[in-house]
This record gives sequence, structure tokens and C-alpha cells, in this order.
Amino acid sequence: MIRVQDLSVSFRSPVLDGVNLHAPPASILALVGPGASGKSVLLKSVAGLLRPDRGDVFVDGVSLADKDEPGLAEVRKGIGMLFQNYALFDYLTVGENVAFPLRRLFDLPEEEIQARVSERLERVSLPGFEDRIPRSLSGGQKKRVGIARATVARAPILLYDDPTAGLDPVTSQKIYDLIKGEQREQRGCVVMISSDVAGVLTIADRVAMLHRGKLVFEGSADEAKTSVDPLVRQFIHGLVEGPL
Amino acid sequence: MTEASATLVDSGPSALGRLMAPVSAGVNDIAGLFRLLGRTLTLISQGKREQGALLEQMYIIGNRSLVFMCITMGFIGAIITFQSAVQSQRLLPDLTMLGATFIKLLVRDMAASLGAMPLATRVGAGIAAEIGSMVVTDQVDALRMCAADPVDYLVVPRFIAATIMGTAVLIIAGAVAILSGMVIANGVFDVNFHTYLNFSMVTLGDVGLGVTKMVAFCAAIAIISAQRGLSTFGGSEGVGTATTRAVVGSSFAIIVLNFFISGLGYFFVPS
Repeated sequence: MIRVQDLSVSFRSPVLDGVNLHAPPASILALVGPGASGKSVLLKSVAGLLRPDRGDVFVDGVSLADKDEPGLAEVRKGIGMLFQNYALFDYLTVGENVAFPLRRLFDLPEEEIQARVSERLERVSLPGFEDRIPRSLSGGQKKRVGIARATVARAPILLYDDPTAGLDPVTSQKIYDLIKGEQREQRGCVVMISSDVAGVLTIADRVAMLHRGKLVFEGSADEAKTSVDPLVRQFIHGLVEGPL
Repeated sequence: MTEASATLVDSGPSALGRLMAPVSAGVNDIAGLFRLLGRTLTLISQGKREQGALLEQMYIIGNRSLVFMCITMGFIGAIITFQSAVQSQRLLPDLTMLGATFIKLLVRDMAASLGAMPLATRVGAGIAAEIGSMVVTDQVDALRMCAADPVDYLVVPRFIAATIMGTAVLIIAGAVAILSGMVIANGVFDVNFHTYLNFSMVTLGDVGLGVTKMVAFCAAIAIISAQRGLSTFGGSEGVGTATTRAVVGSSFAIIVLNFFISGLGYFFVPS
């Protein structure tokens, strides 16, 4: 469903260097790696939010490299995204935030928009939060509103940038259950960055690890756990001794 | 090749590159501004209007700047009138034309050029900080994920609102400057109100030139500040930098635009 081919992105220095990656449909791909390894840049490149220096991203077989902004906007209709720091619009209410993709992407009657917003908020355990403003919410609640907004358009591809960062273990597990439940229902493709390796391995079908802009591992969750590669082993098991 | 000559050969291109880097950055910057202006003007007619967004921006930019601008221009009017009267008394002890010359100067230039500077600090900084903080918190990327063009959604309403309301605020603040000047002229130099409020020297051309400057300055403030906001990077420090660059860029643009519009005015709208 998503194919990343020889992707290189640099700002002042290289961030991604020749990354090749495949995320099949109906699966969860966990993207892990130490800080500043290029995970968020890779996720934004998949969403067409960053232009690569070299290489290409194919979403459902469609190349993003030769698309202009309106063309990318068409592709993005099939992608929902949760940003690392929620990216909720602070001048809109929770309900308006969740309704935003529906209002911009589709021509739906207001009753249907409201019904879908209520359904989404109920799904993320925030019923009746429509009129609250984002700054009155806790970190976990903001994440859940972000998930509601990312999933409200029922996009077949969902990108999550560290959905459990800074959350307590119970809330983290609730969010993992929510993401897994959503993915099972939609049979969609999920690419998820997580710094909580142990947690994400419980729901991921496949794991990819980045280190200094390069892909150093790609395989199943079990393969990641049993990998003998010193980098992968140290990171996955959280060992102090090692090359990292 | 000796070591010294090799060093010279090696350092040549990088030294030239370093020298040209600010020039190249400046050219790119100006090109970016014109691209954003062109896109904004296109989207004014073709874009998707968000309900109430324009009115909200008109309220934020207009209403919230009005008191600040009136107080600032009130003081400026009083200072200029006082200094003009003191200086002209040294040459000629006749202040009957004090109001007439001040009003002409204000209508033709000062209400726009002096007023636009504090407006840039109030409106320009606000636009850059608001858009900049949306960039660093990924809200602009979230807009793009929802097929909302950031230029259409963020820049267009601010551009229209700043141009309309900024001009209106500058006209009102200019009027306040005239009134404060009149109070000073009457209180300090005993010029009566009727003598001071002399519009006989003001022509329709002066009014046209003054309003043209106001519209141009307000549009420049909006587009430069929006561009600085959209090019923000690096967290809250980046927002601070973008805000500073917005005010500096707007102030510089006001002076340059004033030079060119005044030059055209000299030929087409003689004083």
C-alpha cells in the first residue's frame, strides 16, 4: 500500500539516506529508532508534506514525486495523520477540530458531520467533549482528539507520530487498543512511530528501525525481538551496553 | 602545487559562496514574497472562503489596533505640531498656516508612513507569531492533510482584513493626529481651532496619494508578516525570530514603498 523507494531528505545535513520500505495493506508497521533518526521526516514524506531530495514514495501505486500541491491533496484524502504534538487547531473547539477534515474533504450534510463527530468522540472515550477547547484538555485527551480527527474521514491509510509519547502506561495501552481496534475494523494500513518499543511490539505486524537516517532493520515483530544485529538488539531490548 | 596555493584554490569558491550567500538569500526572499503575493491575489477570487474567518480577522486586526494607533498618532501629531510651531516662529511669528501645512503633510504622507510603522509592530508581529506558532506545532501541516491550502486558509483572510482595516485605522489615527495637533496649537501657541483646521491646501490628489500609500503599506505588512510566519522553523525561538523579521521587513518595505510612491506622486500628483 505504501512503498518508499530510495528516499533521501536533507535540511542542512542529511536526515534520510536512501531509505527503502514497504507497508502492506491491512497491517500495522511500527517505525522505531533512536531520537533524531529521521522517523518523523519519513512519516511526513509519506504524507507528501516534505519533498525528498531523491527517491519517491508510492501510495497505492501513485507516485508522489511528480505531484503538485493539488495532486498531493488528492492523495492525502486517503491518509489520516496524528501529529506528535497533536496539532489540534487551538482556535476551534474539539468538535470543530474533529469535523474539520469532513468539512474540507467532503460535501456532507451538517447532521451527518455531527453524527460522525459524536461517534468518533465516543469511540475515543471522550463523549460530550464537542464544545471543549483543546487547551483545557490533558495530554492523553488531546492525543485521543487527534486520533478522532485522524480517523473521522475513514481513510485507508493512517499515520501516527508517537501516539503514546508522554502518556502513562494505562493510557498508552488504551491508545494502542484503540489503534489496533480501528485498524482491524477498517482493514487499513497503519504506520506508527513509537518511542515505547515494548508497547508498540504488542500490536505491530511489522517493524522497521531507522538509525542516523538509514533503515537498519525491517521484519516482523518476532524477528525484531530475536534479531542478533547489535543495533537492533540494543534498541529493542533497551540495553545500556552496545553500539548506540 | 604548494600547500599554500592549494589552500587558496580551495578557499576561493567557499569565500565567494559566503559572500554571495546573503545576496542569494535576499533574492530568494523577495522572490518568495512576490510568489506569495501572487498566490494570495489569485486565491482572493478563486479560494474557498471559511465562514466568518474574514470578519474575525477584521475584528482582530482593526478593533484591537485602534486604541493603540489612536494614542500613538495622537502623540505624534502633538509632537510634530509643537516642533513645527517652535521652528517656524524663529523665521516668522505667524502661525496661521501651521494647521494647513501640517494637515497637508499628514494627508499626503505622514498619516500613512508614520502610522504604518507602529501598525507593523502591532499587526505584523501578530500575524507572524500566530502563523509561525501554527507552523512549529504542525497545525499548518494538519491543514494540508485536510486539503486546506495554508495560503487560502491563513493568509488570504489576514491579507484582506489587514488591507481594509489597516487603512481604516490609519485614516482614523490620522484624524486623531490632526485633533491632538489642534489642541497643542491652541493650548501652547494660541492658534484658534478654526484657523488650525484649514483644509484649503489639501487636494483630491493628496487624499488619493495618502490612501494609496496606506493600502500599499498595509498590504505589504500583511504579506511580509505572513511569509515570515510560514517560513518559521525551530520551535518557540523560531517564532520569536519570525516575529522580529516580520517587523523589520515590514518597516523596511514601508520606507522603500514610500520612496517609490512619493516619487510617482511627485510627477503625477504634484504638491
